[in-house]
Amino acid sequence: MKLALGTAAFLLMAHPAAADSYEEHDYTLNCSGCHRSDGSGSRVVPSLQAMPELSAKAGAREYWVQVPGAAQAPLSNARLAALMNWLVERFVGKRPEPGYTAQEVGRLRSNPLRDPITRRTEIRRATPH
Amino acid sequence: MSQLDRWFEGMTRQSARRVSRRNWLSRFGGVLVGGAALPLLPVARAAEKHTVGEDGVKGREGDPSRCEYWRHCAIDGFLCSCCGGSHTACPPGTEMSPVTWIGTCRNPADGKDYIISYNDCCGKTFCGRCMCNRNEGERPLYHWYRNNDINWCGGAQAQTYSCSTAVVVKTAKEAQPEK
Repeated sequence: MKLALGTAAFLLMAHPAAADSYEEHDYTLNCSGCHRSDGSGSRVVPSLQAMPELSAKAGAREYWVQVPGAAQAPLSNARLAALMNWLVERFVGKRPEPGYTAQEVGRLRSNPLRDPITRRTEIRRATPH
Repeated sequence: MSQLDRWFEGMTRQSARRVSRRNWLSRFGGVLVGGAALPLLPVARAAEKHTVGEDGVKGREGDPSRCEYWRHCAIDGFLCSCCGGSHTACPPGTEMSPVTWIGTCRNPADGKDYIISYNDCCGKTFCGRCMCNRNEGERPLYHWYRNNDINWCGGAQAQTYSCSTAVVVKTAKEAQPEK
């Protein structure tokens, strides 16, 4: 009986959370066309599976939101922040700490990268922070 | 064997005695006409809605070789269904581009929105049949990943555009544009 009640409570709590999350939908519609559904990219598109190379470097957290694909996505700051938390957890293996907020994402988006590829090389060469 | 013969003979003689030829003809005619009229009934038409397409999406398949087909709501190009392939597969001799543009279309059979991936087929000269240009939900070129005027064959081995598919990725949580 206890188990049944516990399961029912869990299901009631779990359902609305699943219904409200747009991360996977937003990834499919806004990222997966070029980065592909497994994130592997292609000859002309960087692989998201290479994100762990940058994860320990200074500037990576900001860079990931400033890249044109993220900064220019037709998503609100709140939806992009949620998507980035989901995306970093999926491809780096752990959620960003602290998580991205709508304010932080809004600030980063308003400061776009002039040359994303050069910036990526700089971050890769930087020492871990 | 002879027992079976006797049984059949008995049945035949019995029905010949009891049932007139006209009676049999009228009943057989009734079955033929009735069977043909069954799909006109509302019950049969309602059942069609529950048919499932080759990729598991509910609804009538419709005609994938027409621009009006629901999955083609945002297409711009030649339909692979008219070019020796289908709406989910490339014609022989072409390669499906790994990068693609993605949009949503509403399935009239269940009223749900689906995420559609318009993968281009590349490597042979352009097909030239069934040109469609619906562009619903398409974005200007500066939103390149939602634009269909780009040659998406850029990600394939050969960059010659041949035709476009319309693959259902999964159900969408909302139609474009995002809130």
